[in-house]
Amino acid sequence: MAAVAEPRPLESGVAPVALDPHVHAHHEQGIFRTYIWSHDHKMIAKQYLLTALFFLIVGGLLAMGVRYKIAFPNVPIYGLNWLLPSYMVSEEGVILPQMYNMLFTMHATVMVFFVVMPLLIGVFGNYLIPLQIGAPDMAFPFFNALSYWLYALSGVMILCSFFVDGGAAAGGWTSYAPLSNNAAYNLTQKGQSLWCLGIFVNGLSSLSGAMNYITTVINMRAPGMRMFRMPLTVWALFITALLLLLAVPVLGAAASMLYLDLNFGTHFFQASGGGDPLLWQHLFWFFGHPEVYIMILPAMGISSEILPVFARKPVFGYRAMVWAMAGIAILGFIVWGHHMFVSGMNITLSAVFSVSTMIIAVPSAIKTFNWMGTVWRGSVRFTTPMLFALGFVSMFVIGGLSGIFMASTPVDLFVHHTYFIVAHIHYVLFGGSILNIYAAIYYWFPKMFGRMMNETWGRIHFWITLIFMNLTFFPMHNVGLGGMMRRIADPTQYEHLRALQPINIFITLSAFVLGASTLIFFVNFFYSMFKGPKAPPNPWEANTLEWTLPSPVTLHGNFEKTPTVYHGPYEYSVPGMDKDFLPQDEPLKPEVKLGGH
Amino acid sequence: MDAHATALIGPGLNPVQPNRMVRFGMFTFLASEAMLFAGLIGGYIVLRLSNPNYIPAGVHLPVLQTLAATAVLVGSSFTCIWGERQARAHKRPTWALFITIVMGSLFLLNQVFEWSHLYHEGIWFNTYGTFASSFFTLTGFHGLHVFIGVLLLIAAWMLSLAGKFDGNNHNFLDCASLYWHFVDIVWIVVFAIIYLW
Repeated sequence: MAAVAEPRPLESGVAPVALDPHVHAHHEQGIFRTYIWSHDHKMIAKQYLLTALFFLIVGGLLAMGVRYKIAFPNVPIYGLNWLLPSYMVSEEGVILPQMYNMLFTMHATVMVFFVVMPLLIGVFGNYLIPLQIGAPDMAFPFFNALSYWLYALSGVMILCSFFVDGGAAAGGWTSYAPLSNNAAYNLTQKGQSLWCLGIFVNGLSSLSGAMNYITTVINMRAPGMRMFRMPLTVWALFITALLLLLAVPVLGAAASMLYLDLNFGTHFFQASGGGDPLLWQHLFWFFGHPEVYIMILPAMGISSEILPVFARKPVFGYRAMVWAMAGIAILGFIVWGHHMFVSGMNITLSAVFSVSTMIIAVPSAIKTFNWMGTVWRGSVRFTTPMLFALGFVSMFVIGGLSGIFMASTPVDLFVHHTYFIVAHIHYVLFGGSILNIYAAIYYWFPKMFGRMMNETWGRIHFWITLIFMNLTFFPMHNVGLGGMMRRIADPTQYEHLRALQPINIFITLSAFVLGASTLIFFVNFFYSMFKGPKAPPNPWEANTLEWTLPSPVTLHGNFEKTPTVYHGPYEYSVPGMDKDFLPQDEPLKPEVKLGGH
Repeated sequence: MDAHATALIGPGLNPVQPNRMVRFGMFTFLASEAMLFAGLIGGYIVLRLSNPNYIPAGVHLPVLQTLAATAVLVGSSFTCIWGERQARAHKRPTWALFITIVMGSLFLLNQVFEWSHLYHEGIWFNTYGTFASSFFTLTGFHGLHVFIGVLLLIAAWMLSLAGKFDGNNHNFLDCASLYWHFVDIVWIVVFAIIYLW
């Protein structure tokens, strides 16, 4: 291979990247440097993928425990009584309320910090950013590796917290004071402290990732890759990284204060010492609301990437998509108060937060209409990734609409502490983020592992997931409006909820099927990794730069020769061209002109 | 950007990364550090505003002594700039860094004395309501940053002793000194809201 790239014209002010002739030396690195302490962004992405899928199983099992307790509050599980200590399970094997609190707290913590964030940002941020902008690796490979290992460390801390005296944190993933900062109330002094430390370390991991992504996107684009020629996945991950960078440290500060309250006797959130429990909520949600967008923006980027590929059409309103994401990100910092309407808030302030929250519907609707506009009159190929991306668009509409209920203070006062909010959050987080995570895994699997996943089983997985997620989460709206509170271990203790119990049992049975459907995915994933048919370089006939490389991409520096980019990433079905896609590094025929940008 | 991103392929291959990019990355890191302190300082302000007798009677902070320590810390930023300039001018910044390290350590030493003084007066994390909580947390977090800054400067100083700064390759010093200036600026804010308010 040519060791040095030829000089290229400087478009977008980015210099060509010459490859180092020693690149191939990497093949001689030992197992430790290749698989464990790897600096290659593609290997780090795979490390993230496998670890996060493990946590998906952990978080999923915790969810099954939650559902079991709600549907069958007094039915013992045999064997549990000798597996778990007596403060978790009764002598007969019935899950006790304290363990139930632990289950839902850790389900949310694991899913948010150890599944959705790492899958979207750790896996696809790492894998796609350098490949899609034509860079040899991340800006700071050392910090990239550090990011993964800090994540793994925080995961170990969270897993260990289940086994300390008192068990894992049980004060809800939001850890509201005074429940969280008084060992006398939460009975999990050690678990809650480990939660604080785990979240802090997890935050450090997010920060090293965010630092890398921002620096890489700004500084390392290939010649011709202007900001407005970047794939929307890269835009989404870039904006997400900015949110991470500015929001996560605030959680770090809050978690430190909580840790000190628990272990050093400070009084930050302790009303008896002059502290302010509401301060925790403000700090937590100042992080927490941007966090919501941290978990959905990359998912939006993924669907914006997949829809045009399988509709064989340019994405509808590329720039509008970018500005809408930027708008969502900026608004995300000034709406945190809408999580606190029921915590006691000045009425004028709550009106302000209501309005700012509802304004977010505007950029969200722009995106939704653009997705529909993208698919409209396309020649749609219903592959598994496409099905998941379409599923996302539909589920996101439901989740988005129920969000408007919560944004409006008078309505929120009634539904906030009910299952309605549980339904809402799962429509956006499962129907939004998780469906797109599946879409992305099916879509980029051939590039990552060099083999195709099985289409038939992929579609079966999709339909079971879509149907049973709706059967699981939709009735939660109903029980919520029926008055069922969140976070109660035994609904049958309340007279007004007894009539709802059959719906709860129905939800639980659906949830079990939903949980079991994941097995189809896992079998498909691991079987295809070793036995799937070999993937061609560009199986989906897509335009972005990663598809110009062989599957899987094995070269540590990614590109043998730095690519030059001639146009945007979504030029599908350009009239006058020979094929209906146009990779970003292929120039147009001189006689063909692009419409639009 | 700089003529070469060559370096980016792997650390084993390329010890040299383009200066501008490293600086850029450092700035993103400092932005997040700033948000960490924004959270802590925001908490302090909220707690203080909601409590009229915030600093309990009987607690007297040594304002003048800390003012002197502040002057030392701010001064050390300038000696640090001196060191950076020397490195850019292909000179060894050994002395400049040494003086910076000494000044930073003096600041830390003062803080240790102040903490131990307060401790012996019976003021600690768990006493005196939220004042003590915020005071020790804020100065503690900041002190930890100063400590890390001193370690970074010591590492830069050792690189300088070994003659590793050649005018083009002073990324490490650049970052250490950006960090040092940041720690300095944060201290001015912390000093103002704790000691002068």
